[in-house]
Amino acid sequence: MRWILVLALICCSLAARADFDYRLEPRQIAESVWLLEGSTDNFAAANGGNIVNTGFIVSDQGVLVIDSGPSRRYGEALRQAIARVTDKPVLKLLLTHHHPDHALGNQAFADVPIAALAGTTQLLAEQGEAMAENMYRLVGDWMRGTEVRLPTETLTPGPLQVGNRRLQLIGLRGHSGADLAILDETSGVLFAGDLLFYQRALTTPGTPGLDLWLADLERLQALPWKQIVPGHGPLASSAAPFKQMRDYLGWLDGVMRDGAEQGAEMNELIRTPIPERFAGISLSRYELIRSVSHLYPRYERARLRRVDR
Amino acid sequence: MALDWRSWLLLALFALPWDSWGGEADPVTSVMWDYYHARLLDGAPFVFDQRVKLQAPPFAEDARQVPIQVDASAFAGQVERILAWAELNPIPQIFDFAPGERVLLRLAIRIRIEQATPLRAAVLTRDGLWHVGSTQIDAAGGGCTAPSVVRAQAGWEEHLGEVLGRRFVLADASRLRLQIAHPMDNGLVGGIPEFYLNQAELRDASGKILARLELFPAVSENPTLSLDLKDEGETELWLRDNNGNEFKAAL
Ligand SMILES: [Zn+2]
Repeated sequence: MRWILVLALICCSLAARADFDYRLEPRQIAESVWLLEGSTDNFAAANGGNIVNTGFIVSDQGVLVIDSGPSRRYGEALRQAIARVTDKPVLKLLLTHHHPDHALGNQAFADVPIAALAGTTQLLAEQGEAMAENMYRLVGDWMRGTEVRLPTETLTPGPLQVGNRRLQLIGLRGHSGADLAILDETSGVLFAGDLLFYQRALTTPGTPGLDLWLADLERLQALPWKQIVPGHGPLASSAAPFKQMRDYLGWLDGVMRDGAEQGAEMNELIRTPIPERFAGISLSRYELIRSVSHLYPRYERARLRRVDR
Repeated sequence: MALDWRSWLLLALFALPWDSWGGEADPVTSVMWDYYHARLLDGAPFVFDQRVKLQAPPFAEDARQVPIQVDASAFAGQVERILAWAELNPIPQIFDFAPGERVLLRLAIRIRIEQATPLRAAVLTRDGLWHVGSTQIDAAGGGCTAPSVVRAQAGWEEHLGEVLGRRFVLADASRLRLQIAHPMDNGLVGGIPEFYLNQAELRDASGKILARLELFPAVSENPTLSLDLKDEGETELWLRDNNGNEFKAAL
């Protein structure tokens, strides 16, 4: 009898998953700094697209939010989660970049300025519809009511004062073409956006080049950070995410550079063994297949020359 | 694209060695096999044969440029033709390859796919039997009906027929990698009629044909292909499109 009750409870809790509640639980990681950590899985109906890290900083004047998540529902859940932590008003939403998991919750912030780099706004305008469509395909009903909403304010890199908090905005481009990193000077928390993936294979659909990405990492690592919030993966207080990223990017770059030099075909490259040291990084095979598709054409063209007569 | 559950299944299978696929049964789920058997193989005798290695990624990240690779080395000295097609494409046929003696039985090319589909490479041996290699690819789709990337570039006509290429030394072969500037219009996009490279020949220095390749507009824009030769001898690639334009490259 008791077992039936337990089973019934399990069933209920499973059924509750279908109510499209992200169950966001903000975690305080520094004084007035909060993190909402997503999973390191891929987009799936089981996670509603919550594979991303978002966060917020509570100043004496109000709240600064960093990224809006993958859907309207997520954005709304984020607003509610913030309201559970503070009664201060939301002042502004900052977007780290235009990718769907970071910027499709914007509708829930229609009442405040949505600020991003000019490049981010342009990329979201160009690619937002297609990305949203793909998200509907991948996570289904979680996306209901989600529409692309473009930023209303253009950010320039440099200092940003929000109430009593001073932030540094760093403009980069290695991951998506327009990437914003945010350093909260008071706490030393660095929101690195997708320039940093940790324990999760990085994604390359919009990168202008792995060399530029590596240069961006150098700039970020040199900042006076105390904790790092990667775009995907766990919070860190050491340079481990930088080390892993550099190692992984270098490996990926080497696989394609050597491949192009040796005349490898894409189907040969995507079967490259994944080094043992990356065994703990989720989705590495899957992302290798994607990265070869995105980037290998550039590497191979660089090795070819005109041969027509 | 990102993955749904079918792709996860394919990704899981992706790591398995070839031998773990089933024996003589069709290794992919197909509703079209009988149709293509009749239409492309004239209903001739065939076997599903895993010795014909047909490789593709488990999913199409870019449905307009999907790399496929055929290896029929197991049938060295016996092959007359190799046909490839994508079963659920509006334009299914990819190539018809007639390799000569100095060419290895391997070919790589990039194709467009419109949706998730079984892929086939059928190898005709001298005894009249077709050996059919198969794989399956998942896709968000739309590769055949996406707007032309080539035509979006101003002045593309001036580059028509330009060939980028290089020869590479492999352990067992001399590989020719080639990319030909051509829009490969398939007649399905924006009212633009078919305009595509449909014939290619690889010749030696004396003009003797080393391999013949018929191409179909399932092949991607700016076709990218690899051919593996047994020796380092000089070669010439001759190409013609369905409008009668001819192009040549030397490697
Ligand atoms: Zn991203």
